Amino acid sequence: MFRLPRSPRRTAHVARATRARLARLPRPARSASGVAAGAVLAAVTALATTGCAGGAIGESTAASNGKSFVAGSYDTTIYARGSGPVSPDVNGTTLTGQKLALADYRGDVVVLNFWGSWCGPCRQEAPALAALARHFRSRGVRFLGVDIRDSPAAANAFERSFQISYPSLNDPGDEIALAFQSTVPPAGIPTTLVIGRTGRVAARIVGQVTYSALGRLIAHVSAETA
Amino acid sequence: MTELRAPAGSGRHDSASGGGVVTSGGVVPGGGVVPGGGVVPGGGGVPGDRAAGHGAVAGEPGVPAAASGDGGVARPPSSPGARRTVAGWLRWGWRQLTSMRTALVLLFLLAVASVPGSVIPQEGIDPAAVSQYYAAHPTLAPILARLSLFSVFAAPWFAAIYLLLFLSLAGCVLPRTIRLVGSARQLPPRAPRNLARLPLAVSHQTALTPAEALDSAAGLLAGNRFRMRTGDGWVAAEKGYLREVGNLLFHIALLALLGSVGIGGIFGYKADRLLISGQSFANTVTDLDQFRPGRLVSPSDLQPFSMTLDKFTARYIASGNLRGQPSTFSAAIRYSARPGAPERRDVIRVNHPLNVDGVQVFLIGHGYAPVFRITDGAGRVVFDNPVPFIPVEQAGLTSEGVIKVPDAKPDQLGFAGVFLPTAVVVGGRLQSAFPAALEPRVSLVSYAGNLGLDQGQSQSVFQLDTARLRRLPIAPRPLAPGQSMKLPGNAGTLTFTGYRQWASLAITYDPGQLPALISGITAIAGLLLSFAVRRRRMFVRAAAGADGVTLVNIGGLARSDAAGGFETEFAGLAAEIRDSHGGAQLAGPAGRPGDYLGSDQAAVPDEDDQAAVPDEDDQAAVSDDDQAAVSDDDQAAVSYDDQAAVPDDDDQAAVPDDDDQAAVSYDDQAAVSDDDLPASARTETESARGSAEGE
Repeated sequence: MFRLPRSPRRTAHVARATRARLARLPRPARSASGVAAGAVLAAVTALATTGCAGGAIGESTAASNGKSFVAGSYDTTIYARGSGPVSPDVNGTTLTGQKLALADYRGDVVVLNFWGSWCGPCRQEAPALAALARHFRSRGVRFLGVDIRDSPAAANAFERSFQISYPSLNDPGDEIALAFQSTVPPAGIPTTLVIGRTGRVAARIVGQVTYSALGRLIAHVSAETA
Repeated sequence: MTELRAPAGSGRHDSASGGGVVTSGGVVPGGGVVPGGGVVPGGGGVPGDRAAGHGAVAGEPGVPAAASGDGGVARPPSSPGARRTVAGWLRWGWRQLTSMRTALVLLFLLAVASVPGSVIPQEGIDPAAVSQYYAAHPTLAPILARLSLFSVFAAPWFAAIYLLLFLSLAGCVLPRTIRLVGSARQLPPRAPRNLARLPLAVSHQTALTPAEALDSAAGLLAGNRFRMRTGDGWVAAEKGYLREVGNLLFHIALLALLGSVGIGGIFGYKADRLLISGQSFANTVTDLDQFRPGRLVSPSDLQPFSMTLDKFTARYIASGNLRGQPSTFSAAIRYSARPGAPERRDVIRVNHPLNVDGVQVFLIGHGYAPVFRITDGAGRVVFDNPVPFIPVEQAGLTSEGVIKVPDAKPDQLGFAGVFLPTAVVVGGRLQSAFPAALEPRVSLVSYAGNLGLDQGQSQSVFQLDTARLRRLPIAPRPLAPGQSMKLPGNAGTLTFTGYRQWASLAITYDPGQLPALISGITAIAGLLLSFAVRRRRMFVRAAAGADGVTLVNIGGLARSDAAGGFETEFAGLAAEIRDSHGGAQLAGPAGRPGDYLGSDQAAVPDEDDQAAVPDEDDQAAVSDDDQAAVSDDDQAAVSYDDQAAVPDDDDQAAVPDDDDQAAVSYDDQAAVSDDDLPASARTETESARGSAEGE
């Protein structure tokens, strides 16, 4: 096979040029150090990102699998006076068949509670809600429930069980929660919204409430807008 | 100011010289101490000769560089005086990260890290299997959970791998893109003195003057979209810059693909909902069964559509070999994209999701939901609901479910049982013979007591916690639609009023889907472009010969042209040039290099030709030197090329290129002609030739 003639002078020049150029470079890495560098940096980054782990509001965790609802994580959001988002129109039919709207309660503090008879935490907070409703009735605070994914028969039985005196809207298709989606979405069941006298949302509690915590909150909201 | 190191992979030269590299003031392996100011290049054949021949290059008393004995462990670059500053370490770290080797290692790690995600049950996909794994491996499971092996793709270490890969790709590709843009106006190299050296060369004679001949050739080549450079008696043309563009397009598209997947994971979400026919649902967190948001998704980000399932239809094959297999599933729905929007109708089928507002709703599963009406001991209706039962076998769709009646008085009631769509008695046992509801029956076990709901802990709606329930003494018997079961002890009555079907829907929102598709297509296009387009060069030299006849030499060079497609193109272009000159061909057809008449060489005197020693061809020869002087790392090989082509600084040189070494040699061959050597260097190289030949 014919080979093109090679000039030794050119070769030598080229070789020398190569080495001179290489001389100015740092030494190239070998794969072992590359892997080591990658591992070290990976470890550092892993430590940094571990702190970011954790569920967001309303994210299903392992515990809620098969429950058929999103358990959500507890969260209390309180808005400063006059700065909360305006509550959307809420209207529907109560479990007893009457038409009711949130606008009917304008001028009163409204506690809006999303619940279902099938929901364990809702059952746990129900006595507290019933007691608070009776306690604050004379102080211009109205309670309104929104019953989700439930049948009227079971919901009425729930109300009888816990002696709930305030009305609840029957909302099997969850349209009322959808109305709140862009402002203060109920991020789990149960969720309690406290709406001020002017129609602005003052607070949102995700998860079951306790008598004392909700009582303090209601007193605070009704005092500030009185 | 330079500093030299022994290249690691250069086996043959390491053995020859001992591999040591010395900065001035150190020890020359195989020689004496070089007085200050002299530098011995390492890896050479005979260091002593080189030391005698070279001028000083570096000038610092420095670190004895790595000898081959240490196995070539990489060290960070030493600044003069061997101070390793923080900046030096950071630069070293960055170079390691952005090297192609690291990127390949990270890609491999990514693939390896995905293996546990396929082998071990994952939380987000099959939580029931995870619970089973816990039950089956009680000691191993918590350890795996600590290592995030049940949620591999959300694990921090997995995120670290693809974040590093992203950084590595970005840190490599972006500077290269800038360089490519900067070198967009780069001119082809000068034409070599002796075009006969090139693998494709022809020559012909013409009556035109050299200037006219070159003009004509240049016009022709420019018309073929070559980039031109002219000089005294020569014309150089280059084509095929798209190859680099294709290469970069591929890498940038990979980056974009990673970014799209990341965006989909951060801003997207997946949710599930089981919907019974006749029910509606709204896309809110309260109305979903499962909600798995991306990191930056909050409940208010969900698209506010709502949907009603009017009717779910499942058809099964009634006879033949495939009896009992489903033939179609379809869910007839009405939906509105936001509150107040007009309602639309649609049908969701398997693999034909509903697209609403960027969200896709897939039909995943189906089953039966028998409807029960339960009156408690006090005679009040406390339950009147369909209850979804989950299929436990596919052949007859036998389904199991649980009913919880927490507000029955005097005791809470619970029921657990089976629903059989086509109930038949086989060998004394009740079974379902066909998945369609031809003979629906339900059979339940009854409990009374405390369901465990009132303490607030969440329970699965498909499981009954019988810890505080007592079994009621009534034997389960199959109930037909309309039949009732009276519970003993005046606990109540259960009536099986009918059944409905349910469909389970998967709601997914992935904003990175379309960008990922575009990135994938672009990556393939870039790859094809980089494979299909070759960098190729053509040179034309015209010199006046005897009798007023002009001798025109045409040479062609293709970088890494394995398929030889350039030969045809070269032959065609050379013929065109010849025709435009009206010349007569002298040399053989293109593709038979070296087939020359001796008179050509005489007409174009060239020192190299006289001194030519038959040897290996250029490609092999210079690649020998490359391997001699350079480690097997891509970086160094290509920095060679890069510095030939582009005025560099160290950072540029460190960026890897995927061109092979042989191709690099062509570049250098073409770029460095003897004319470039200063006179002094020429004599030097002649004296060193003997030692070079000895390598």
